[in-house]
Amino acid sequence: MENELQSLEAEARKGLQELTDAAHLEPFRVRFLGRKGAFSTIMRQLGSVPAEERPRVGQLANTIKADIERLFEEKKEMLSAGQGRRGVTTPDLSLPGRWPATGRLHPISQVMEETCQIFEGMGFSVAEGPDVELDYYNFEALNIPAHHPARDMHDTFYVSDSLLLRTHTSPMQARIMEARQPPLRVIAPGKVYRCDSDITHTPMFHQVEGFLVDKKVSFADLKGVLTVFTRKMFGKELALRFRPSFFPFTEPSAEVDIACVICGGQGCRVCKKTGWLEILGSGMIDPEVFRMVGYDPQQYSGFAFGLGVERIAMLKYGIDDIRLFYENDQRFLSQF
Amino acid sequence: MKLTLDWLQSYVDLRGLSPEKLADHLTMLGLEVDSVSPLYPELAALRTGLVLAADKHPSADKLTVCKVQIGEQVHQIVCGAPNVRQGLAVVVALPGTLLPGDVKISKSKIRGVESAGMICSERELGLSNAHEGIMELPESTEHGRSFLEAMGLNDTMIEVDLTPNRPDCASVIGIAREVAGIVRQPLTLPVAGAAIDRVSDDFTVDIERPDLCPRYAARLVRNVTIAPSPWWLRKRLLSIGLRPINNVVDITNFVMMEYGQPLHAFDFDTLARKKIVVRCPRENEMTFTTLDGSERQLEAETMMICDGDKPVAVAGVMGGLNSEVTDKTTTVLLESACFNPVSVRRTARRLGLTSEASYRFERGVDPKGTIDALNRAVQLMCELAGGEAPDDGVDSFPGRTEPSPLMLDVARCNDLIGIALSAPEIAALLNSIGLVATVRDNAAIEVVVPAFRVDIEREADLVEEVARLYGYDNIPVSLPKVELSYPEQDSQRQRRLALARRLAGGGFTEAINYSFIAEKAVDMLDLSADDPRRKVVRLLNPISEDQGVMRTTLLPGLLENLRRNLNFQQNSVRLFEIGKVFMPQDGAAQPLETMRLAGVMCGNRHGAAAPLHYKEERVDIFDVKGCVQFILAALDISGADSDATFIPPAKDCGEPFSEDGYSLDISVASGKIGTLGKIRDEVLRNFAIKQQVYYFDLDFAALCEAPSDTRKFSSLPVYPAVERDIAVVVPEEVAAGELLAAVRRHPDKLIERCELFDVFRGEKIPAGCKSVALSITYRSESKTLTEKNVEKSHEKILRLLTEQFGGTIRHE
Repeated sequence: MENELQSLEAEARKGLQELTDAAHLEPFRVRFLGRKGAFSTIMRQLGSVPAEERPRVGQLANTIKADIERLFEEKKEMLSAGQGRRGVTTPDLSLPGRWPATGRLHPISQVMEETCQIFEGMGFSVAEGPDVELDYYNFEALNIPAHHPARDMHDTFYVSDSLLLRTHTSPMQARIMEARQPPLRVIAPGKVYRCDSDITHTPMFHQVEGFLVDKKVSFADLKGVLTVFTRKMFGKELALRFRPSFFPFTEPSAEVDIACVICGGQGCRVCKKTGWLEILGSGMIDPEVFRMVGYDPQQYSGFAFGLGVERIAMLKYGIDDIRLFYENDQRFLSQF
Repeated sequence: MKLTLDWLQSYVDLRGLSPEKLADHLTMLGLEVDSVSPLYPELAALRTGLVLAADKHPSADKLTVCKVQIGEQVHQIVCGAPNVRQGLAVVVALPGTLLPGDVKISKSKIRGVESAGMICSERELGLSNAHEGIMELPESTEHGRSFLEAMGLNDTMIEVDLTPNRPDCASVIGIAREVAGIVRQPLTLPVAGAAIDRVSDDFTVDIERPDLCPRYAARLVRNVTIAPSPWWLRKRLLSIGLRPINNVVDITNFVMMEYGQPLHAFDFDTLARKKIVVRCPRENEMTFTTLDGSERQLEAETMMICDGDKPVAVAGVMGGLNSEVTDKTTTVLLESACFNPVSVRRTARRLGLTSEASYRFERGVDPKGTIDALNRAVQLMCELAGGEAPDDGVDSFPGRTEPSPLMLDVARCNDLIGIALSAPEIAALLNSIGLVATVRDNAAIEVVVPAFRVDIEREADLVEEVARLYGYDNIPVSLPKVELSYPEQDSQRQRRLALARRLAGGGFTEAINYSFIAEKAVDMLDLSADDPRRKVVRLLNPISEDQGVMRTTLLPGLLENLRRNLNFQQNSVRLFEIGKVFMPQDGAAQPLETMRLAGVMCGNRHGAAAPLHYKEERVDIFDVKGCVQFILAALDISGADSDATFIPPAKDCGEPFSEDGYSLDISVASGKIGTLGKIRDEVLRNFAIKQQVYYFDLDFAALCEAPSDTRKFSSLPVYPAVERDIAVVVPEEVAAGELLAAVRRHPDKLIERCELFDVFRGEKIPAGCKSVALSITYRSESKTLTEKNVEKSHEKILRLLTEQFGGTIRHE
């Protein structure tokens, strides 16, 4: 038994020495180290060894087998390392990586979120309201009575005489002021609707409304907060201007223009040669709106603004057709 | 509002101000300039010419062969106009000229006669629709000059986008007044303000509804000769796109543009009993034919201008055919009035008829400007139509009010704007645009607002004027000083955002669809007649039938998106949408708006990922089930993996668009929250989709309300686990998931985990049976398990599987 063990060891060592090809590793392992290999076979004969010899021979057998196993592992490692040097079967690293599944958020969601985050960073809370809105909140409470020409600025979808699809997110001003007391800092993102459809208009689009009500809030503060927003959204260098405008629920009212991102303010087709692009409407909340929600306009002042999310996304990413947002073509959505 | 620079200059001296600078001034005054452009850029190449000779064409009766002198040169031009004649000054397009409408003029032979150019009509020039003959220039026109220069058309067009609060600027004088304030130049008005002192004996005015007509003034002009207007007047109207008609009508239009006061000229001889009555129609007067020849249906509240018998005009909107000024008119009654804005607006809306007049009345017309505009028009009719006007008239002014002055609190004004002007500085700003501001003391300013500023009624309106005139650019930039407070956020919204991000990370792309869908979409989904999703909120004025109702399900939108993507060869699509659906609620003013989360998937499981690494594997029902499990887990909802969560619907109770045997209802502790499944082929055909599509549709609001697990730490095991595999052969009817659940529910404390790892049918398995392989992990918290401990527990499980499920344990 001892002799057999020693000759097996010699045979195995010789076999290992001659082993130069990784392809021969597995046959070697099966022949010597496998469950039905030479060492296992010889170990099974251990029973026939006299009992007093058995521990010694057993230990010897184990030692030899362990040695061969160790040498085999070393050889295996060496051969595979050697392969690395020869570059025979190393992976071709120019092959593409294995991507995890990837989807995207809709660009409108992304821009809306970015917008909300900028204002959340300034301490605004976010509130949402109904899309199918009462005429009262959409118009009356915002100082736009029935038959006011300002209603022409809104091509309204009606559900009934008193119910409509909100044409702007501004009804949230009235809803929140009605329910809470100042000081208020709120933004209200959401879907809005106008019956208009062409390359620059879709019947549904997104706005983010925002307002701040407190004591001694000024137009200069409005300029400050919206300047912060514009800089965060479009970058520090962009020129910005506040231009007088009219909304029935703010006074004074201002539209905010940024220097045209297409031509850099030189004048082009997109900015209609003015060098400016309108991105949002704003103003000091009209005292009439305060009165309707029961705030004292002598005590409180505030500003409000509403910005068009599609407009900002289009300018930010250079998208030239607003309808693309609602076709949900993966080739479009995967670009953002 | 359109106007030209030249027109504007007739009221205010703008020399030295470039059109661009002017536009910038206007825009920063709140009069947003839409465009500044040369008035007729396409006519720059045209020349004036003199017809030296006009001879009949040798072989065409209606053609004339002309010799036209243009500067040094004489051109032969064949002309078809009946009015061409020797000595006429004309407009010529020489060969090479491009006329409006991309008409290129070239040398040609017309019926054998050479023609080098074209003598143009107004229509060919794009000036008007006049095409009865060529345009006749004044006799004195020098030939060889630029047509635009010679005719005073070398002008700049300015288009202002007016906001509804500034009707005073719906007039050239109104805009000139604003500009004059900025450039600090005087405003020159064409007529001095004068009142009508003597009441005319020739006609009467009776206002029956003074609430709808605060002022009505009129004068007569006799012996007018109706004729085309002189060029300067036609030019003004043409330049802003109005069609010249005749001198009288043109004057009313011109003065309306000049003063912003709509005027109407009646043929006085058509007015019965020489009377004007402002009233609503009688029962037998409910149809009326307007100037444009259309018969209009009136309503009881429609305000009409009537003569002694009948209506002759829709007040503030349009005149009537029965009293129109015609070529035969000799006496004109000129109306200058002020009507109630709401009444005019309602009428214009109801009749579907808006006019330059209604546009102005709706927004508010200066009640004090009535007479100025009237006198200006009368003066022009005398000058241009040879009329004679007695210096009397009628001025009925029941709505006369004297404006009470407004007080402006200097401190509040400064605080609201964020500036620090002194009272005199503020007063000076207000005075620059015609307001009369007087400093009362250093704290307050009294302001008398002229009537033309109908928009200034309150202190806030004055603050706006101060901000505007001070210049928004000059107002400082500051941040509000507010008390720090934590903004409470809407938790459902935050869950929505977090989940959307997780889904995107998991390979789904977010879609956003319109909230309205086609009503037939519910048929396309094959919803049953009593399905609550058939009860929709309907739009009264949709853009199209395809967007006629508010959606009650997100699926039609997503399926439409899928179809579109497949059409563009995007074969592997995974889309989700989180959005509202709208359900009418009985007894509530507004519909119920609920947030839902739905998704669709089709094509390759690995999407467009490298085909090198991922074999083409089609998505199946387990992808969509896994996705819903992922969503539940992401929201920490209990039982994402439990059998109670996913239950096949009872027969005929599943979604009608989902295939039998491939549908699951999804329930959580609080109840059913949605479904998932495979869309039936018939339904897919309705959406023109040819691939297999799987969907899920969840009530997101309910999902957010569902009981969720609080995250809690459990200590990590220190003793090793023992894993045992079992293959059990059970009848087909036994659901593998039930076996799994039964093992998981088993009370033996040593069972740590149980997973399904194979379901096998075929060789060695009896027909009607399947082999289910489970892997069970045993572990004790307190010791290393011995073979014996494990055996004891494992025996229990084997017994459970054989006794409860009729299984036989399969041995190798």
